[in-house]
Amino acid sequence: MSNQTKASLSISPVLSVAKDEWRYWFRSKLAMSVLLIGVLLTLSSVVVTGINMIELAHERAAMQNSSEDTFMDQPDRHPHRMVHYGHYAFRTPAPLSMLDPGVDAYTGNSIFLEGHRQNSAMFAEQKQSTGLTKMGNLSPAFILQVLAPLMLILIGYSAITRERESQTLAFLLAQGTSMFTLLTGKGLALFSIVILIMLPVAIAGLFAIVQGESTLVVLYFLFTYTLYLLTWTLAILLCSTLLAKNSESFTALSFIWILLCIAMPRIASTSASVVVPVAGKLETDFAVLADLRKLGDGHNANDPAFNKLKQSLFDKYEVDKVEDLPINFRGAVASASEEELSKVLNRFAEKRMEEELAQTETARLFGWLSPQIAVRSLSMLTAGSSIETHHRFLRETETLRLDFVQALNKTHIEQLNYIDDINRNNGEEGWAKARVSAENWKIIEGFKFTTDSPAVRIERGFSSLIQLLFWSVMLALLLSLASKNLARRASF
Amino acid sequence: MTNSGSSAKYLLEAKSLCVSIDNKNILSSLSFSVAKGEVYALLGGNGAGKSSTLKTFLGFNLPSSGKVLIDGDEVNESLDKVRRKTAYLPENATLYPHLTARENVEYFLSLAEISKSQSEIDKAFERVSLQNDARDKQLQTFSKGMRQKTAIALAILRNAPIFLLDEPTSGLDPVAIDEFNNLVRELATSGATVLMVTHDVYGACQVANRIGLLRHGELVGQFEAKQNEKIDTELVHAAFAQRQTSEV
Repeated sequence: MSNQTKASLSISPVLSVAKDEWRYWFRSKLAMSVLLIGVLLTLSSVVVTGINMIELAHERAAMQNSSEDTFMDQPDRHPHRMVHYGHYAFRTPAPLSMLDPGVDAYTGNSIFLEGHRQNSAMFAEQKQSTGLTKMGNLSPAFILQVLAPLMLILIGYSAITRERESQTLAFLLAQGTSMFTLLTGKGLALFSIVILIMLPVAIAGLFAIVQGESTLVVLYFLFTYTLYLLTWTLAILLCSTLLAKNSESFTALSFIWILLCIAMPRIASTSASVVVPVAGKLETDFAVLADLRKLGDGHNANDPAFNKLKQSLFDKYEVDKVEDLPINFRGAVASASEEELSKVLNRFAEKRMEEELAQTETARLFGWLSPQIAVRSLSMLTAGSSIETHHRFLRETETLRLDFVQALNKTHIEQLNYIDDINRNNGEEGWAKARVSAENWKIIEGFKFTTDSPAVRIERGFSSLIQLLFWSVMLALLLSLASKNLARRASF
Repeated sequence: MTNSGSSAKYLLEAKSLCVSIDNKNILSSLSFSVAKGEVYALLGGNGAGKSSTLKTFLGFNLPSSGKVLIDGDEVNESLDKVRRKTAYLPENATLYPHLTARENVEYFLSLAEISKSQSEIDKAFERVSLQNDARDKQLQTFSKGMRQKTAIALAILRNAPIFLLDEPTSGLDPVAIDEFNNLVRELATSGATVLMVTHDVYGACQVANRIGLLRHGELVGQFEAKQNEKIDTELVHAAFAQRQTSEV
């Protein structure tokens, strides 16, 4: 018998197990096919979504400039015509939305701003979503959240059960290899698949940094997805350790995947809409209309609703006829009406946003029941494509709308004579006199919607991160218990 | 815990060992010991508890009472340590079918953090008479005998001081059985301690220094070879047959 045995420091047993697992995958067509499809799918999704989002960002920035230029290039006009001519505000997507478009695909990205009304965001699905949307919204986030765990299951479901079925597990243990070594090696091999899947995403992350995203946020984004897929790696090893047969492990993992990635997100959104009911659009529109009617017609200076305003102006300027006022009473009515109307509209808008946020937060609680929900929330919050960001866009555009409308109303009040104003329909001369200079249209400041700061985004996702950590720690503990149990039970 | 380390007189010891599985007594007050360089054969019919004894030495069965010691260490208290001292050869060598004989050996050696050169591995294959052209073929093409030879080569390369063999010659052809028996004797001569369980009376008498007769989990008789002699096959066979008949 040879006595030249020496401990090898170059290749540890854990690496040997991982290397052997790769060798098995290389010799198994299924594993390599799944891996190839997975990496190609992620890569193509990153490229297609990335190109689309970059195009959209440029397009929206260009449209924003064009909209502002068009507004300011309008000729001399009646200022209230410009109130109705309106203006557009576009939301430029966050750099990381190339990986997770989040609610962008559903909420719309541009708003037509005009007097007396708050329009909804437009152009949600048609142009904005990627070309792959028709195949089922195959964004990189969707692939990582839903398809990557399935790929890991297909590759790793038999990691331990295969050893049990062929009785190599007991032989390995009998040779002094510990379950810890075996599980760590198998886990390392599966985790290397995670790294391969994450590679195209990491490259896209670098691109996002070039686009202006914070390095910290990109690293955090990559970390959360790696943690999520590590959670699945642990779940796969746990099932493969607990169950005796390949078929049992595959069936159990498929069921868990359907439950956590397909069923649970739907259960979460349905439960949220039951727990936090939101009034329908039609119902809300009628309620808004009823409240607005009480305010009076801002286009009609003789509406009794503005008698109080009229009297206060008479008192202020010590006159008793609107014609004697030093300001244009019609403009004053329009301005006062717009202010009151905005308060009503904002009240309803804030209520709707509160309800939407409450629904979203209720759905996010389901992250304790599904890591997919936890990572989905965390991903959108980190990427800056969450409902919170959309609500900020709505609030900022409303401020923009009110500012530009009131600026035009101010022009109406101060620069257009009341008599000329009421005679605006008296032929060409009347029209000509009821105009103000186009110089007054230079009231629009360039609108640029920016992503929330890294600190805000990371803080918002903190509870989802805790959920994800809970899942990984819980599964690691369960795996540790299961492996100790199997080390005893494994037999020939 | 008893821990005399390598100074233990016996490398394998079962002391009043009782094992119950699913409330059924598998082993009852089993006591025997195997000294360094000794080949001990546990002989018994089906269900006598032979394989259960080996599994208990490997730590896969927990004793309900009594203890099993390997090199002075109680098995269930130092599982990984004692397993590293043993080379286990199951009835059907469970190696990886997708790997070649060489890859299997290399893989298991790397798990044990043992580094061997290719010439050392080839020497081990030669020692178990595994043909040159078979060494780089996947095990799924191997006969049972060839798989056994691969597993034995691995055991030799691991330099384990203790061999636990479960029906090692079952299913082998007569030539392979002879080769195997010679190998076991060779291992013992070089200082290895061997515990084999078998129902092959002839094979046991050929290689064992001592034979224990197991029935219903109890040791019912022991035979010992005299100096430079083999155990009398007829004597053992008669005892074995008598026990088997009395069981019927």
